[in-house]
Amino acid sequence: MRNKATQADTGDIPAVQTRGLSFTWPGQQQPMAFPDIDLNPGDHLFIHGPSGSGKSTLLNLLAGMILPGAGDIHLLGTRIDALRAGARDRFRADHIGVIFQQFNLVPYLSALANVTLPCRLSAQRLARTGNQAETQARQLLDQLAIPEDHWHRGVTRLSIGQQQRVAAARALIGAPGLILADEPTSALDTDNRDRFLDLLLKLAERSRSSVLFVSHDRSLAQHFHQQIALGESA
Amino acid sequence: MKALKLTLSLAVASLWYRRRTLSLVCLTLTLSVTLLLGIQYLRTEVRSAFTSTINGTDLIVGARSGQLNLLLYTVFHIGNATNNIRWSTYQDLKQDSRINWLIPISLGDSYKGFRVVATNDQFSQRFRYGDNQALELNEGAWFGDLFDVVLGAGVARQLDHQVGDRIVLSHGGGSTSFSNHDQLPFRVSGVLSATGTPVDQAVYISLEAMEAIHVGWQSGVAIPGRTLTGDQARAKDFTPDAITAVFVGLEQPIMTFRVQRELNQYQPEPLSAILPGVALSELWRIMGQFERALLGISVFVVLTSLVGLITVLMTLQAQRQREIAILRATGASPALIAGLYICESLALALTACGAAVLIGAGTIASLSSWILESYGIAISLRPLTDQEWLLLGAVPVAALIASLVPAIGTGRASRLRGF
Repeated sequence: MRNKATQADTGDIPAVQTRGLSFTWPGQQQPMAFPDIDLNPGDHLFIHGPSGSGKSTLLNLLAGMILPGAGDIHLLGTRIDALRAGARDRFRADHIGVIFQQFNLVPYLSALANVTLPCRLSAQRLARTGNQAETQARQLLDQLAIPEDHWHRGVTRLSIGQQQRVAAARALIGAPGLILADEPTSALDTDNRDRFLDLLLKLAERSRSSVLFVSHDRSLAQHFHQQIALGESA
Repeated sequence: MKALKLTLSLAVASLWYRRRTLSLVCLTLTLSVTLLLGIQYLRTEVRSAFTSTINGTDLIVGARSGQLNLLLYTVFHIGNATNNIRWSTYQDLKQDSRINWLIPISLGDSYKGFRVVATNDQFSQRFRYGDNQALELNEGAWFGDLFDVVLGAGVARQLDHQVGDRIVLSHGGGSTSFSNHDQLPFRVSGVLSATGTPVDQAVYISLEAMEAIHVGWQSGVAIPGRTLTGDQARAKDFTPDAITAVFVGLEQPIMTFRVQRELNQYQPEPLSAILPGVALSELWRIMGQFERALLGISVFVVLTSLVGLITVLMTLQAQRQREIAILRATGASPALIAGLYICESLALALTACGAAVLIGAGTIASLSSWILESYGIAISLRPLTDQEWLLLGAVPVAALIASLVPAIGTGRASRLRGF
């Protein structure tokens, strides 16, 4: 997959392209090295690795929360490691949706307000909903099977599965180019996990968002176009 | 602009979400600010109540002594007169065209530990205290009969006397006296309204009555058979030989120092004339330790409440790492997070300050008359002084600083730790 022909075929700039990434946490002896990533727009990447293999570090690097010690990161044609902190925050708001393992929602906002939050932080995401953030949020919540009477409720009263789906809706709204998911299914049972993954990937495809999905559960890999493993080589 | 709106709306939602915890925090803060303002208020009010113990009197004239001694026994009813002044001196002063009015007072007797002040109608008409307030009768009337007595508010309250009660004065000071003027009991004709000054702690009779009850007394003992009965006394005309002191009001206050100098050099007998304001501030310098102690307490209260505020805010914010991670991941800048912290802390601090001012003002407004009635302390509502505004302003400033600590921390932590 890692060839220019694919890029030329789609005529698109790659969603993710990293080269020679490494990062050292304070107090760490050896820098963590990461395999290069090339991901086409709309393709999904499965990142697998045991705990401590640097999965979360990689997501933090890709989200622009931290800067690499070496190497460079191109997201949707922008080299984000060269951006200033404020510009990285704006880039994240405009182009990246994030789903965490759990406790994904702002506790004092309703489900609907949690979903529309990215559109309030980014004019681009708002514009991509056709300036109809609330309408799209309702559609997403509906598609993610959140009952309508839960939309205006405090999110702490939702089940974990529902909370993760609301988080997915928030990541998906305004069609960001990239969705980073950090073990979002690890707190879910098998049924919920499969349902969550199906919905996430289906809706991401609809908005042509690339999903980077981190998990220790290798059985999920089959749903993705690409996979990389961390830990063994790093 | 949009970011500010978002910050504010998030802050409002967040405050509302945490309303239970925060209302307790706010209550704590409100109580500390109330305490702080209360102490500061009390401090200044006690001082102003003290310095306005007597007002409008330009000079106090008594026998030669120090100015504090003269002030203490004439105004505060503490200690004893060194000597009396002659009635002729009083008459002399009366002739002086620069002098507008005189209140003669004669001391020496007591009633159950409260001083008896013998005076004339000028006392009720001319005496002023506080903010140029005149004495008022709460009930009854001033002396009509020779053996009428008017009680200070504190005396009437503590001894539970009403108009019409019969009381017996004692010779000399002290709460237990062995020689009483029991042949000539007095009738309570009136009770003064509370003033919050030593006026409340004395009983008032006429100069003539003072003379009458001492007819036939020698060296502090009544000589049997030489004292008068009530009716005999009423038939006689009494002019005192001597009085203890005179409160003087001048035509033109600008003459005060000149008259004072002349009185201090008065030839017929040695006199001391003092300026009550000057003597009062000298006395306050001695008593001011108390005020300084209160000031010290208020400094500690400020520090404690500010440290408490900072602790509470930091604890609250430490619980919010998860929420902050979500906001950061969604693209919120550290500035927005800092704004959120700052808005919330300021809202909390301002609410507490507002509530404290309202509670303080409400308490003073509703309790001031009760405090005056029951404790004889005059506290009135007044606008806040600059110093108090400063204290009040320090609270949101401290809240701001307290919120900046985690706000800056968030920016740094996210660079170091990621989400």
